[in-house]
This record gives sequence, structure tokens and C-alpha cells, in this order.
Amino acid sequence: MMSRFFEFVLSLPAVFVLCLGSALMVVSETHQTRLLFAQLQTLEGERWQLQEDYSRLVIEYSTLSAPHRVSELSVTSLAMASPDTGAIRVVAE
Amino acid sequence: MSASTAKHTGYRWRVLIVAAVLAGLFGMLVFRLVQLQVGASQYGADFLKRQGDLRAVRSAEIPAYRGLITDRRGSPLAVSTPVVTLWANPQQLIGSGKEAELAQLLNLSVDGFSAKLNRYRNKQFMYLARHQTPTVARAVLSSDIPGIYGRREYRRFYPAGEVVSQLVGTTNIDGAGASGVEMKFDESLQGVPGKKRFIKDLHGEAIRDIGVVSEAADGESLQLSIDLRLQHVQHRELLRAMKETGAAAASAVTVDARTGEILAMTNLPSFNPNRRGQLNLAAMRNRVVTDVYEPGSTVKPLTLVAALESGEFDIDTIIDTSPGRIKVGDKVLPDPRNYGAISVSRVIEKSSQVGVTKMAQAVGHESIIDVFQRFGLGQATGAEFPGERSGRLPDHDFWSAIDQVTPAFGYGLLVTPLQLAHAYSAFANDGRLVPLTLLAVDEAPSEGRQVVSPDIARKVITVLHRVTGEEGTAKRASVPGFSVGGKTGTVHKVGDAGYLDDQYVALFAGVSPIESPRYVTVVVIDEPKGDVYGGGAAAAPVFSRITQEVLRIRNAVPDAEQEPDVLMMASAGDASRG
Repeated sequence: MMSRFFEFVLSLPAVFVLCLGSALMVVSETHQTRLLFAQLQTLEGERWQLQEDYSRLVIEYSTLSAPHRVSELSVTSLAMASPDTGAIRVVAE
Repeated sequence: MSASTAKHTGYRWRVLIVAAVLAGLFGMLVFRLVQLQVGASQYGADFLKRQGDLRAVRSAEIPAYRGLITDRRGSPLAVSTPVVTLWANPQQLIGSGKEAELAQLLNLSVDGFSAKLNRYRNKQFMYLARHQTPTVARAVLSSDIPGIYGRREYRRFYPAGEVVSQLVGTTNIDGAGASGVEMKFDESLQGVPGKKRFIKDLHGEAIRDIGVVSEAADGESLQLSIDLRLQHVQHRELLRAMKETGAAAASAVTVDARTGEILAMTNLPSFNPNRRGQLNLAAMRNRVVTDVYEPGSTVKPLTLVAALESGEFDIDTIIDTSPGRIKVGDKVLPDPRNYGAISVSRVIEKSSQVGVTKMAQAVGHESIIDVFQRFGLGQATGAEFPGERSGRLPDHDFWSAIDQVTPAFGYGLLVTPLQLAHAYSAFANDGRLVPLTLLAVDEAPSEGRQVVSPDIARKVITVLHRVTGEEGTAKRASVPGFSVGGKTGTVHKVGDAGYLDDQYVALFAGVSPIESPRYVTVVVIDEPKGDVYGGGAAAAPVFSRITQEVLRIRNAVPDAEQEPDVLMMASAGDASRG
């Protein structure tokens, strides 16, 4: 009976140390979470910025490559024209 | 303690009682603490945690990126662009003395803005400006005006504008598909918005983010079967036709008969989807699928199918169309002139009413309606476009003599231009009808059914080619360098008191190239004015110009042997009735 009691008393510091360790780990994990969350926020901001750029570029691209613009430029500045039927030679099928 | 107990042994029990009471009270405190912190009672830990969260934790939506819509070659047709919606908390803004500065930043009149602010003085939320470009929003948000917040959202932008507006459709201000492809494929385009949680203070401002509950899943992008270049060609040619004929509306559709892909689909009048607020309902209709017309002579090739299948006719069987008119019931159906005894092929080439009526009477209306049904008239095309109509086939309890022949030349039934294109696609695909689709497909689908024998389909193609020849009603449909085929149609519009004498719909349905038919184009010109009202005069030239570009863009090999100069000489002002 007595030895049981002593065992219990002796194990208390060990439990205390474990408890302290666990508490410190909680603190460290919370800190890690905060750091990761801050990183996520930064990345999300970056993604937003990239999406902004992406859609701007897509729109610019489609404005510049709009068929009516291409056909106008090919005629006016490149002096191109559709060939007459007689000028077409089929090389391969 | 030991000294006092020794001195006042008589009070020892009192000390014990006080100690016991104190210990009891402490015990109760501990018990209560445990009960509140870990206990599962009604007002225990869970309850308190929930109540705390209710007061401090808020969740916010993370917007999902709506999928891109592109044409078959990847050119964007609808793009979501990031925008910022600016809002204010009037409680924090009022009294800061910066109202005028804010009004200036937002390009608003100071008086009007103060009045609006005054209306919202008891509120916690007020929109300042929705869907601002990020640059504008940054300028406002980075100023030191209190109570201004930005919310990230997406706005839909349509780079191709009015050229594909009815087809692509629109989204509403909250970003959900409201019409067209945007509506049909809304589920896969929209994605799933995510959720994040944060802790707020007394004023509702976020102090700290707790974490992401669920990530936003972006919408899938969508590749349509549409070719933007063809779309532009159709748009340009319809604009030209509207100008030349003074028509009220015009539509065109081109399909690939082998794959069932819709390559282009345009309608005029059109609208610019990037400018909201001034939308005109007539311009928003995708007439190719939502409007039904009596197809007129454009269904005569289907009547020809019924005639050929009956075995009583071949394309060179002679029919006597003298004296150029025929009496059916109490109606007289005239030809423009007496064609005399002509072949079945010539009946279609000249679009002879008398000849077609005789064929219809010989084969009976049941077999003609049966052909219509097999070719998909009166049924959905498979494109499943929002608002698509399936038209109507004639259905009478009692078929009078005239009811029995009118379907043969396209009266008494209603079809959409897309259905007409679908029906013609069977001719171009060796008699096989493939369901239409708006999505790009890699190879010819295995679905589809043989609606007519390849042999008869070939014969009809031959006759259709003759229609665009020198003697046909649609020589203006011919394309330099290529052989094409098709059929004109001119129908009277229906008014309150029956058919209108002076209002027409001009149609043309055609296939190309004849040697290996693949592309079907249908052109509808609604209410052409003046002399050019017929299918051969108003719609056929549009078909010709569109098909020329279709064949060039799709790299078809020129197959016509005629000199292009001859084809160019087709006389102008030809208003022959289809």
C-alpha cells in the first residue's frame, strides 16, 4: 500500500514535465499555424495578383488577335489578299 | 497555527468548521469550474464555446474562379477578371471629415454622396461601388479614410463582344449563368466557393484569421465547338446582308455534319454583353435555336427522299408540270411559268410547286411526315441550348387535300434554323444523322442513326448541287473554286390575318464541298425589303460568302472545275421565288 503511494508521488514530476512539454508544443504549434496562415495569405494575395495579370493578358491577346483586326492589318499594312481560284495549286492531300 | 491551537484548544472545533466551510466553498468553485470547462451539461463547455464563437467568429466566402469559355482553337470567349467591390461602414465613415475626399476618389458628386450617406447613417453596411478595377480599388483602399473595405469578386468579360453574345450568353451580377452557354454549363463553370473563418472585434472588423474551412474549387474551363473566325465571318456577312436587304433580323448557323459540332451560330440584331443595363431582349435571342419558321422550299429535298424511297421516282423520272399550275382542293398552286415535262431533279432545281405537289400526292403525306421525323424535324437537336425549341410537325385529325400536300413544300410545319441544318447534315454524312453538340469533340461520335440510305443521300446531294448551277434557283450560292449544293426557300410571314403578302422570310440551306460533303450552313433573312426578298436573292449570296470562308478556314481542297469568272457573272437582282 505504502509503496503504491510512493510510486504515485514519485511519478508526479514526470507527469508535470510531460504536461509542460505538451503545453509548450501547443504554443509552438499555434505559432506555426500563424506563420503558415500568414504565408497562405501572402500566397493568396499573389494568386489574386497573378489572376489579375492573367485575365488582363487574355483580354489583351484576344483584342490584338481579333479576326477583324487581323484581316484589316493583313490587307492594309501587309498588302495581303485571298488568292484567285486560278492561283491555287494543291500540293498534297 | 500549531501555537494557536495549543493556546486555544477550546476553539479548535471552530477553526475546523471554518476550514471545512472554506474547503467546501473552494471545492464548489473547482467543481463549477470543471463543470463549465469540461462538463457536458446543458450549459457546459460546448454551450459556452458555441456562444463565444457566435459572438466573435465569422466565416467569409472565398470566391471561386469561374471557368474560361474558349472557342475550338482556344481563343477566349468569356473570361472572369478580378474586380473589387468597395463598401463602407457608415458608422465609422460619418464624422471622419473625409466624406468629400472619398466622393472625389469615387468620381461621385459630393452632394449626392452625402445624401446617400445620410440615408445609411443608421446602417453598418453600404455599397460604395461594385466591380471596380483593382487599380481604382487600390487607390481608394490605400487612402487613410476610415470604414472603407474591399471585397474580392470576379466579373465576366466577353472579349469577342457582340459576335458571339447570344451563344455564349451572360451571367448576372452575382456571377451565375443567366443565358446561353453560361447558363447551360453553369454547374461545371462556376466551381465551388471556399470558406474561411476569422475572429472579429466589437466593430465587426477582422482581427485574426482562424483558418480555411474549405478551399475554393475553381470552375472548369470549357472548349466550345465554335470557331471564332467563322463566327466573325458570319457576323460580317449578316451585317452586310441586313444593310443590303433592309431586313429586320438575320441568322446563320454552320455545322460539321460528320462530328455534329456547331462551328458557328450568329444572329442579328446583336448586343454587347460587356455593357450591362441597356439590354434589348430582341437582340438577346439566339434566333437559330429559339425562333421557329415555316421552312418553305428548303424541305423539298426531304420530300425528294420520300419520293426516292417509294421506288416510284428516281432523279431522272419525268413529271409533267403543264400547264404550270395545279388545283388541290379549292386552292391553286402556281409555278412562275410552265416548265412542261421535266425530270424530278429539275423539279427541285426549279423548285416547281406543281412537280413537288404531284410527287407528294403520289407518295402520300404519311411517308413525307415520316421522313421529316427521321431527319429530326419536330425534335430536339441534341445541342440542348437554353430556350431551344423543337418546332412542330403538322398533326391533323382530318387531313384535307391541301393539308396533305402543304408539308411537302414546307408550309404547316415549324422548324428552327438549327433543326434545318441538322436535317441537311444527314445528306452530307451519307445518310447518318449525328446529334449536334456545342462542345469540341475529338472524333466522330459513335452515336447517331442512319436515317436514309447512303445511296439516296448521295442522289439528293447531286440534285442540291444542280440547284446552285446555271439553271437552278440558287446560282448565286455558288462558291468560286468549290462545288456546293443547297436549296432556297421563300416563305410569307404570318400576321394576325394569315399570310402577309409583302413580308417574307428568305432561307437558304446548303452543303459543301460536293465531292466529300461535310459542312452545312443555313442562312435565314427575316423580312428583307424591296426587290431582293427571295431565298435565291437575299439568302443564297450570304451562304456563298460564308461557305467560301468555311472551306478556306477548314482547309478544304478546291474541287470545282468551272472558271471562277463565269460564276462571278451571276446576275444581280434575281428575286426568283424559292
